[in-house]
Amino acid sequence: MSISTALQQSQKIKEPKNLSARINWLRNYYFQGAKRAWNNEFTAWTTGTPWDIQFDEMTFYIVPETYPFLQPFRISMQQSARPVKLHRDFWSWSLPERKAWFVKEVMVNYVPQEILPGDLLAGGRFNIQTSMCWTKKEAQERDKLIYGKAGARAKMKWFHDHGYGNAGATSGHLIPGYERALKIGWKGIYQDLQDKYAALGEKEKKGKNGAQLRAMMTAATMPRELAEKYANLCAKLAAAEKDQTRLRELSQMEENLRKVPWEPAQTFWEALQALWLTHMLVMSDENYPGPGVSFGRIDQYLLPYWEYSLKNGMDREFGKELLKCFWIHANTVYDAMIRIGNQGITSGYGQLITLSGMGQAGRDMTNDLTYAMLEVIDEMTPILEPKPNVRLHGNSPDELLDKIVEMISVSQGAPFLLNFDERSMAGMLREAKKAGVTHLINEDNVHDYAPVGCLENTMQGNDRSGTVDNNLNLLKAVELALNNGRDFHVFVDPITGKKEKIRQDGPKTGNPEKFRAWDEFWAAYAEQTRYIIKRCVDLYEQTESIRARFCPTPYLSCLVKGCAEKAQDITAGGAELSFTTLEAIAYATTVDSLLAVKHLVFDNNDCSMPELITALKDNWEGHEKLQAKARFKAPKYGRDDDEADKLAKAVMDLWCNETWKYKTISTNRQFRPGMLSWNYWVGDGFILPASPDGRPKGRFLSNAICPSNGADINGPTANVNSVGKVLGGKDANGRGDFREYLNCLPNGASHTITINPSLLKSPEHRAKFKAFLRGYVENGGSALQINMLDADMLRDAQKRPEEYRSLLVRITGYNAYFTSIGRELQDEVIARISHTSI
Amino acid sequence: MQKTAKNNQGTILRIQRMSTEDGPGLRSTIFFKGCPLSCAWCHNPESIAVERQLHWTKIKCLGCLTCIDACPKNALQMTGKGMIIDERRCDVCGACLSACPSTALDIYGEYYKVEKLAAEVLKDKVFFEKSGGGVTLSGGEPTLQANFCRELLELLKTTGVHTALDTCGQCSWQTLEALLPHTDLVMFDLKEMDKVKHKKFTGANNKKILENLLRLARHAQLQKPSFQLWIRTPLIPGCTATEKNIKNIGAFIGKNLNSAIARWELCTFNNLCLHKYEGLGLDWKFKKAPLLSAAEAQALADAARRSGANPEIIHLSGPLKFAGEQTAKEVMNKKSAALAAGK
Repeated sequence: MSISTALQQSQKIKEPKNLSARINWLRNYYFQGAKRAWNNEFTAWTTGTPWDIQFDEMTFYIVPETYPFLQPFRISMQQSARPVKLHRDFWSWSLPERKAWFVKEVMVNYVPQEILPGDLLAGGRFNIQTSMCWTKKEAQERDKLIYGKAGARAKMKWFHDHGYGNAGATSGHLIPGYERALKIGWKGIYQDLQDKYAALGEKEKKGKNGAQLRAMMTAATMPRELAEKYANLCAKLAAAEKDQTRLRELSQMEENLRKVPWEPAQTFWEALQALWLTHMLVMSDENYPGPGVSFGRIDQYLLPYWEYSLKNGMDREFGKELLKCFWIHANTVYDAMIRIGNQGITSGYGQLITLSGMGQAGRDMTNDLTYAMLEVIDEMTPILEPKPNVRLHGNSPDELLDKIVEMISVSQGAPFLLNFDERSMAGMLREAKKAGVTHLINEDNVHDYAPVGCLENTMQGNDRSGTVDNNLNLLKAVELALNNGRDFHVFVDPITGKKEKIRQDGPKTGNPEKFRAWDEFWAAYAEQTRYIIKRCVDLYEQTESIRARFCPTPYLSCLVKGCAEKAQDITAGGAELSFTTLEAIAYATTVDSLLAVKHLVFDNNDCSMPELITALKDNWEGHEKLQAKARFKAPKYGRDDDEADKLAKAVMDLWCNETWKYKTISTNRQFRPGMLSWNYWVGDGFILPASPDGRPKGRFLSNAICPSNGADINGPTANVNSVGKVLGGKDANGRGDFREYLNCLPNGASHTITINPSLLKSPEHRAKFKAFLRGYVENGGSALQINMLDADMLRDAQKRPEEYRSLLVRITGYNAYFTSIGRELQDEVIARISHTSI
Repeated sequence: MQKTAKNNQGTILRIQRMSTEDGPGLRSTIFFKGCPLSCAWCHNPESIAVERQLHWTKIKCLGCLTCIDACPKNALQMTGKGMIIDERRCDVCGACLSACPSTALDIYGEYYKVEKLAAEVLKDKVFFEKSGGGVTLSGGEPTLQANFCRELLELLKTTGVHTALDTCGQCSWQTLEALLPHTDLVMFDLKEMDKVKHKKFTGANNKKILENLLRLARHAQLQKPSFQLWIRTPLIPGCTATEKNIKNIGAFIGKNLNSAIARWELCTFNNLCLHKYEGLGLDWKFKKAPLLSAAEAQALADAARRSGANPEIIHLSGPLKFAGEQTAKEVMNKKSAALAAGK
């Protein structure tokens, strides 16, 4: 592409539009980043004991980039922590009671309350790192479990260093019961806790159950007291306000805050105010801003308030103005580490909202608020939070699809994720059957599922499914099968240079050089797969059991059904639906590697097994001919080739069936399969050795359920068909998990397709693209991310990042500013095939 | 392997899935091998010969020379300029292809039985149904393999799929007529009205083509159930892209076909096929020809609208020239100004 084209296209970067002076100011102010006078960066708070710590490193075990910083984070938070004057009885309370009191004390009495000029919602600072509130004994016990020789940190590091992946009990990633909180107010939640506490026997009251409910009652009063503070602030600002319009706004805000979130909301303004405070305090409670604390079906549960206010005179544009303030607030999560550069914006966030989707009996639930929110997204884009996910299904209206396709055509990719109901609901119903919870997920309510984080499907308000907690490289099993259960290469610690001996880590599945038939190799792969899953499950148990014992989150527990009923914290497995998800990484690389072994060694006799193994150990160097055969001549997943996709399905069934066999011991959470695959496919490509599909060490792996880069040579429809097939496709007799649909991944699977902008160039083309989406509903997966870029523009963005600061790309479901994602990810996006039909 | 197809086989160049440019909706387009015309600008030069052809792609070649040893006929020779394929010796046996590790050597043309080809394109049936799309037979020239086409169209129609035939019209009427009962749409190329020029550009005069078109139009009004008829005109700079030609085609349509034609597509010249000529070791007369500018294309479309053809059926498609360097500089300046203003 010529430079003129690049420049023309750079002109097409989406700009915000139709913003009022108020929103424009708030938006521009937000993007000033670290230069702002006000921000929401972490503040740390301590009980003042010498053993106190704030930073819970376990929640970052799934983020390998942070491993070198775990210790510095711990120390720096400790050093900067400000002391909180403790209640005189503090140390006599149980841990959950201490935690509930401490978080509340910090949020209500220590963290300052501020309201930005023109803002219509209160709730500013919430990024905090609070004391873990441990006694000396608790701190010592916990430290031993983390830092000991066989402690969680060492085990986690070993798992990562050897290319298995990562696992850790992680915060966020659920949909709290916001609908209920708005409906009955925190007063109602408190009342319910009080009733449950009163119903306990005297002995129970003195025991663990009583302590948990008392902690939750303390937490339940936090929103009321914080709202009171903000109400007072509004009154103070109003007293000094000269502008009559602003004065009326501040007075109304004060009135709202005196009522909600304690009382049930009635107006749309009250509902949004209550929702924001309730939501931001979840992030305060978990000390974990943003990632996956998701809103669920927001256009459904906010609709009654929206309609009430419209009926009572609210201007629709004012309603959107309130939403835009809400959008700005959601973006302040990134302030947590604002001083590290790029305004603290990283790709690892995602307060997901769900729009549209199916209701009872296949009815479509798109409504006026759906469209209002889409308009807000359209007008605010580019902006990252909250992250929208639009649910589509067979009965989605044309009007919605028109709006969606129009928004895609003017952005650099869809400014939302798409979730596909039939396939997703099939997965949720499969989960219900597998886990024996059909009383909680069934034909009558499965339509009320919603994704968290990016595309990870869960139920709402009663479900924690640990959707990012276990990330396992399936490709590791191929390496082990090729080496009789041992690593290919010696691990050398990059910092100390210390070499580790190669050990018999996996089971002895036989010397592959002696295998005479493909079946023998497959059997070895299957056994190694069982081994790596077990290893992952065991690793997870370590952090899960530590969290259950030492890291309660009583405020969040108030918002998740099951915790009050069982008088059990959510971290101890209190949620009604308590799963943890094993997310498979490098699926296509694994499938293509198996296909290559079969093709090269057993079907086509291109090489012997020893030759292949030597080539892999040499990282393909000096074996270019064989490598080319592996890359270009062996079959690949993603081409709608039934033979190749059959093996892909066998790989899928193997690891899924194995995953369902496990539950956590400490918290009784059922493992379930999914394919989120965050950015691990990039980083782990540098750890795992060369693979039989022709990939050398250092080249990235495949992403989630997507075909390997460059493999999907038959275009988008073939790609889509392959994805749908390996999830299960459809049952020929109509007896699927949901209607005829089958889906072995309840969590769902991340699928990204990059579409050439020319596919949307005219109304006729846009109609065709709409039909493509309708076809996806039938044949495709559970979630789709559409990128709409061309490689030249991205290369230009690499060269001149300053010109492309607001260029948004979306990768495997999460969205990011292209210039902020790092060179390797950038290269990966560029390498992805740009589909084109001309 | 054999060089030409057996009776019950078709020679297929390739299948393109999710095509948006070959008829209504999303389509799978089957490119047939072999064409009776030899248009100077041909965008699919590899489709002209009926026989399968071995070809070599430089950027895919590792330079390992495995193919040279593999060839039983000594037909391959690696030179400083690349691989030379001696077509007199090569019988397209495929030995080099199997030996080549990187698909640098490949064959244009694959034999298909009707059932296998139908099964392959029907994989996208859902997308056809949702978009009002279907299967397009294109080429090359499908009517050169008329029996195969008829069987294929017949089989596809039994599944309810929409079928389109993209033809240059250079065939006997009987051949064409036999396909019509199984065809929902005929896309008919009308390139040049001047018969001398037509002969010069395509190697054949347009007599038979025009006759076939007129008969098709009549047939479309008689046949029950009927089929749609579209006309496609490539806008080739220095050849067909003249106002005179467009006016003449339009006048012909206006006089004879207005009630029978649902759409007249003006398709702008596309230079993306240059690498195919290079791969075949051919020189392409149009390698330096510029794309039409938006203004030129618009002028031709306007001429078409004034020509007597129903203006509502006229559609312009295909790539256009990007703004020149001058404009690029302007864009750059505007950008710098915007940046300086702090946007």
